[in-house]
Amino acid sequence: MLELVGAFLLVGGLAFGGGQAALPLVERLAVGTFGWVTPAQFGVAVGLSYATPGPVLIIAAYIGHRAQGLAGAAAATVAVFAVPALAAVAAASAVQRLSTTRCLPAFGRTAGAAAIGLLAVTLLSLARPVVDVHPALLTGSALVALAARRAQPLLLLAAAVLIGAVAGLGAD
Amino acid sequence: MSDPPPPLVVRAGQVWWALLRLGAVAFGGLGPALALLDRELVGRRGWLTSADVRDALSYTKPLPGSTVVQAVTFLGWRVAGLRGALAATAGFVAPAALLTTAAAAGTAVLPDAAWVRGGLLGLQVAVVGLLAHSMAGLLSKEAGTAGLAAVAGAAAVAGAFLNAAVVVAAAGLGGVAMERCRRTRPGRGSSA
Repeated sequence: MLELVGAFLLVGGLAFGGGQAALPLVERLAVGTFGWVTPAQFGVAVGLSYATPGPVLIIAAYIGHRAQGLAGAAAATVAVFAVPALAAVAAASAVQRLSTTRCLPAFGRTAGAAAIGLLAVTLLSLARPVVDVHPALLTGSALVALAARRAQPLLLLAAAVLIGAVAGLGAD
Repeated sequence: MSDPPPPLVVRAGQVWWALLRLGAVAFGGLGPALALLDRELVGRRGWLTSADVRDALSYTKPLPGSTVVQAVTFLGWRVAGLRGALAATAGFVAPAALLTTAAAAGTAVLPDAAWVRGGLLGLQVAVVGLLAHSMAGLLSKEAGTAGLAAVAGAAAVAGAFLNAAVVVAAAGLGGVAMERCRRTRPGRGSSA
């Protein structure tokens, strides 16, 4: 449980560039370092965090649940938002002092850009279990990426689950 | 702030309830969520002004963490101080946390049937597409300059070998160092 809280405190504290940019760190810790979820489960977890309202970092609840049940879900959720929320309170109560500091925005800009680059690594590890089933499935991913310019993510996810389930039934 | 804050007539409980309702419908990421916050807190309830919502975005963007949640925390503070900030954050996150936990519990007890495996595979296929889409969007929005794009590219390569936390922190420190080098104009007064 300490590892779980520590990992998600770290994720929250290093999530420069927003919640999505922190997904690589979540993946490395939850799949790699601690093995709380498998790569395929991580893909499902990202899907659920896109499908639910609110922040993507709510993925902490899923991984916390897998690691330590209900208590783990609650602890990981509180941990992942603790540092960001405290930072936001600090910003709200000391807005003028903070806005004259240039170091933090400079740190955030480059750290954020790096985090977005790291998404490429996450993308590869999410694609691997899909490719293992069949490489042609990536055509579906490409279609979703194109459709995402217009359609709601929730709609696309629901359609993909439905098509997958029907195809599974047919192949049975 | 040029104007003194209004007297604190809004109770933390009201803030919690308002943000709980928003948290249940805040689909689609940062932009739509900010529009929702503006409509509810500025338009419907009149607790804040649109300037507050703009401040919330610009002051929390450089901070680490989920910007949506931080904007909510910031606005909660503006409405009702520290209690408001905590109430707003807890309320906003609660629906998503409950839904995700329920989904985690649900997927754990799914039967090992072909249609379940197919559905979960479909979900993974879609996630790869959605992440690719949002990565492209983030690249053009947050790494638009040649320098930042180079940082993103270098991080993608480094991430294959190094710990992700190390890569992010090192990039940030590099950014601070560069900023120091180019700091030619003196800041206001003492902060040089």
